[in-house]
Amino acid sequence: MEVEGALPMDDKAKRMRDLLSSFYTPDQSTPGSPPHNTVSRFATLDTINTTSFDADQYMNLLVQKSSLEGLLQKHVEMAAEIKNLDTDLQMLVYENYNKFISATDTIKKMKNNIVGMETNMEQLLEKITSVQSRSDGVNTSLFEKREHIEKLHRTRNLLRKVQFIYDLPTRLQKCIKSEAYAEAVKFYTGATPIFKAYGDSSFLDCKRASEEAVSGLVFSDSESIQARAEAVMLLKKLDFPVENLKVKLFKKLKQFLVDLDLEYKELANAPVNVDESINQNSASTTAHEASIHEFAETVRAYKVIFLHSEPQLCNLGQDLVKKHFEAIHQQIIKHVRSADLLAMLRIIWTDVLLMDEVLPEASLPDFALQHARVAIKDYTCSTFSRLLMNISDTLKKFQLTLKEEMEEEYPLRAALEASKKAVMQGSMDALMDFRLLLDENPELLLKLRDLTINWVHEGFQDFFRKLDGYFLLLSGKNNSAFQDVNLIEEMQGEKISAGLVLVLAQLTLYLEQTAIPRITEELASFSAGGGVRDLATVPAEIGRIFRSSGESFLHLYIKMRTQKISVLLKKRFAAPNWVKHKEPREVHMFVDLLRQELDEIRSEVKQILPEGLTHKHRRNNSNGSTTSSRSNPLRDDRLTRSNTQKARSQLLESHLAKLFKQKMEIFTKVEHTQESVVTTIVKLSLKSLQEFVRLQTFNRSGFQQIQLDVHFLRTTLKDITEDEAAVDFLLDEVIVSTAERCLDPNPLEPPVMDRLVQAKLAKTSEQGGDEKSK
Amino acid sequence: MQGGSTGIGYGLKYQARCISDVKADTDHTSFLTGTLSLKEENEVHLLRLSDGGTELICEGLFSHPNEIWDLASCPFDQRIFSTVFCSGETYGAAVWQIPELYGQLSSPQLENIASLDGHTSKLRCILWWPTGRHDKLVSIDEHNLFLWSLDTSKKIAQVQSQESAGMRHYLTGGAWDPHDFQTVSLTCDSSVQLWDLRTMKKTDSIDRAHVRNVDYDMKKRYMLVTAEDDSGIHIWDLRKLKSPVADLPGHSHWTWTVKCNPTYEDLILSAGTDSAVNLWLASPSIHDDPVKDSLLTSQNRTEPLLNSYNDYEDSVYGLAWSSREPWIFASLSYDGRVVVESIKHHLTR
Repeated sequence: MEVEGALPMDDKAKRMRDLLSSFYTPDQSTPGSPPHNTVSRFATLDTINTTSFDADQYMNLLVQKSSLEGLLQKHVEMAAEIKNLDTDLQMLVYENYNKFISATDTIKKMKNNIVGMETNMEQLLEKITSVQSRSDGVNTSLFEKREHIEKLHRTRNLLRKVQFIYDLPTRLQKCIKSEAYAEAVKFYTGATPIFKAYGDSSFLDCKRASEEAVSGLVFSDSESIQARAEAVMLLKKLDFPVENLKVKLFKKLKQFLVDLDLEYKELANAPVNVDESINQNSASTTAHEASIHEFAETVRAYKVIFLHSEPQLCNLGQDLVKKHFEAIHQQIIKHVRSADLLAMLRIIWTDVLLMDEVLPEASLPDFALQHARVAIKDYTCSTFSRLLMNISDTLKKFQLTLKEEMEEEYPLRAALEASKKAVMQGSMDALMDFRLLLDENPELLLKLRDLTINWVHEGFQDFFRKLDGYFLLLSGKNNSAFQDVNLIEEMQGEKISAGLVLVLAQLTLYLEQTAIPRITEELASFSAGGGVRDLATVPAEIGRIFRSSGESFLHLYIKMRTQKISVLLKKRFAAPNWVKHKEPREVHMFVDLLRQELDEIRSEVKQILPEGLTHKHRRNNSNGSTTSSRSNPLRDDRLTRSNTQKARSQLLESHLAKLFKQKMEIFTKVEHTQESVVTTIVKLSLKSLQEFVRLQTFNRSGFQQIQLDVHFLRTTLKDITEDEAAVDFLLDEVIVSTAERCLDPNPLEPPVMDRLVQAKLAKTSEQGGDEKSK
Repeated sequence: MQGGSTGIGYGLKYQARCISDVKADTDHTSFLTGTLSLKEENEVHLLRLSDGGTELICEGLFSHPNEIWDLASCPFDQRIFSTVFCSGETYGAAVWQIPELYGQLSSPQLENIASLDGHTSKLRCILWWPTGRHDKLVSIDEHNLFLWSLDTSKKIAQVQSQESAGMRHYLTGGAWDPHDFQTVSLTCDSSVQLWDLRTMKKTDSIDRAHVRNVDYDMKKRYMLVTAEDDSGIHIWDLRKLKSPVADLPGHSHWTWTVKCNPTYEDLILSAGTDSAVNLWLASPSIHDDPVKDSLLTSQNRTEPLLNSYNDYEDSVYGLAWSSREPWIFASLSYDGRVVVESIKHHLTR
């Protein structure tokens, strides 16, 4: 009961609401109403408030469920509820009725108020229309005057603007005079739209005048850089064609550069004579400094004035450096000494530093360094090529003098000495030059020091190789190897004289033994400062090259000389018919010619080559050998018996002899001594003689003639040759060969031979005496 | 004494200058050699290398009427050869046929197929076309060049054409281009002359004094090798005659003769009056590079020389490669000693 007592409060209100809601909205589907079928099944006592309330069912349920007491109680409850509901309903109806009555009253009141409104409105409309017509009248009456005023006003404005523009040049000028440039620019910018619109026609003069006035700002050199920079800024603001200005100014800079270059050339040309030109030099140096300062300043100004102009300026700076180095290149071509080169480099370096301050973007020092590298390399190359030219000139001069009359007593010796000196002195001078280059060490070169040392080393190596190539070319040995076109051209058509070959031979020996070690030594001390890679093996290699060249020159000399003698002998053997030779009357002329040749050779050799140690016939370094087929007694023996014995047995005998003989070396190694060379030539000539003999067939007289000639030679050759045994042996060989090729080898009697030889000796000495007396 | 032990020797009785490879003999490696004796009866020796290659066997010994200055074997018939002979003032040339050998070693008479008469000055040499069968012969005397047409079966030789090289030129020898049977090169005292046999005219010349001997490269066309008295050996390209393609130092005295190997390129043999035979490997490619050359000449100068055979007692005048076994050559020194050497161990390089 107590529990349910609490509920009715809510229930009451709820029911009220539900009732009201069902009243206003008679909606069937109210929430909470369970479907009909479910009611029957789940019928509870709660369904009393729903729409699907079934009274009978409810009663049944109630009767079934509840006890009597409960039912009674329920009955009381329900009676009370019903009573409540009735009063509620009554109240609701009453309230509604009240509202309806008040509404009806209101409508009645409204009806009465609305009646006078219509007339009021019509009056208002009338008044408004009259007002409008009046205002229209005013408008039309004032319109003309107002238009006129407006026109006048516009004209006035235009006139004012025109006035401004006409005044603009003078005003600008005034501003410029008073240096109120900003003001001027403001004026000008104000006028620009008009200029743009009408500038082509009527305001052209005006425009030009003002533009001139403005651009005058930039070009006036007297202005300070800042001022000018500002001016340019202003000009930029003015949309003035700044590019044009820029180009002009740039051209000016370039022009400056050209002028500078000219000055520089003068400077470089000047120091021919150092003492004289010092003043001049320094004067021009200061002039140069001044101008470069100016240039730097201008560049700085330019840089400030025109923003983003660095690339161009960098180019300009690099041009400057390039021009400097071009000038140096020219100088190098013209042969400049290292002191002058240094001076030039120093100037460049100062210039570069100056420029670097102004233009760090251009990284001119690096650029200059690169170029300096090239220049130094160039310099070393040119130095060495000049050295080579000097030497070749020396040699060529002597070749010419050799071709003409020999006025000097010892032309070959002179040539040798001169060329020795040329090589040695030239190399030393060059080295001195380079040393100077290193010692003075401007900053520029300091960085290149190691490189320079390397270049000098390489230069020397290259120089020696080229020298060797040149020598070979000179001697006509290899035509293709040498690449210097000039030298080749000069050499063409000229055959080198044998004497010069000999000079070359000795010169290369000198180079190998003296010059190269000395120069290497100097080089070592030269490069002591810098850590340079090991070059020790190279001099040895070059030495080897020269040694082999020296040998080949010596061989060439011998070859040339023997060739000459060969021709002599060939003529001798080609001319007579040896099979029909007449009995020998005297020693043949060719012996004289041979002697003459040998004398010439000896005189040449004496001038050039050192005297050898008096050693006889070194056996160990032979490179070719022939054998003595017969010993002397055997030969004599055989010759006397040759008439009586058969040649076959002779041959057998000689074969037998060969088994026991010693090897006689003919073709020994040639040394750089007088004796060795002469002996080699004599030996080769005698061998040739033997070969010529073998190609002929002789009669008895022919044989005897040869015998006589050989006999004579034996006495004369003994004096001049070192290797007597070999010469003897070869002469014997000649006679044996002749005997073999003789149809009737019957030798002359020794007394007869001696007599004829004596006669010949007497004759030659007489001739010699005659010549002396003449 | 390099190579001294490898040589196989054979002694002739007299002095001799010429030896020739019997090219037509395909079964054996054989050489023909003739003696040079003024007063004795001269001989022609047919030598054969034994199968083992250890011995030189005399296959035939024939007497020859005069001393032999030049001998050349016919390249297509092993029994035919030519000689140039001389005694005192008389000179002549003939083509000979070796009679059938029936095992006996006695001296049967050589059969004279044809005498090449008509020369008016001293005969120098007879040339066969080296490459194969060709019915022409070239004979060279001091001033003239003769072209013979030879019929070995009918045993007739006729002068087909002749031309004088001019009295001023003393011809000394020559070689027939193996690649072109219209071309011969002649050596004279001041130049090497190239002749066209169709027109019998000089077509070109290499001005080079004292050329002793020429030889064509059998393998490389246009390659000519010359031996000169004093300036060694030169290799020429016949298409550019201005300067030699390569030089070799040659010998200590005259370089008398050069022979190109018939099979292996650039392999050159030379013999000289310094009693030596030198074997060269000339590769012109080394010399084509002038830059390298200037640096390397001194080092390479001795390199082309593969071997020097020094075991001779006298000047070596005769030299012949075997065409059957191209690693074998025969050399003949003046004292009549034939030495056959094998260069096989040089070839492996």
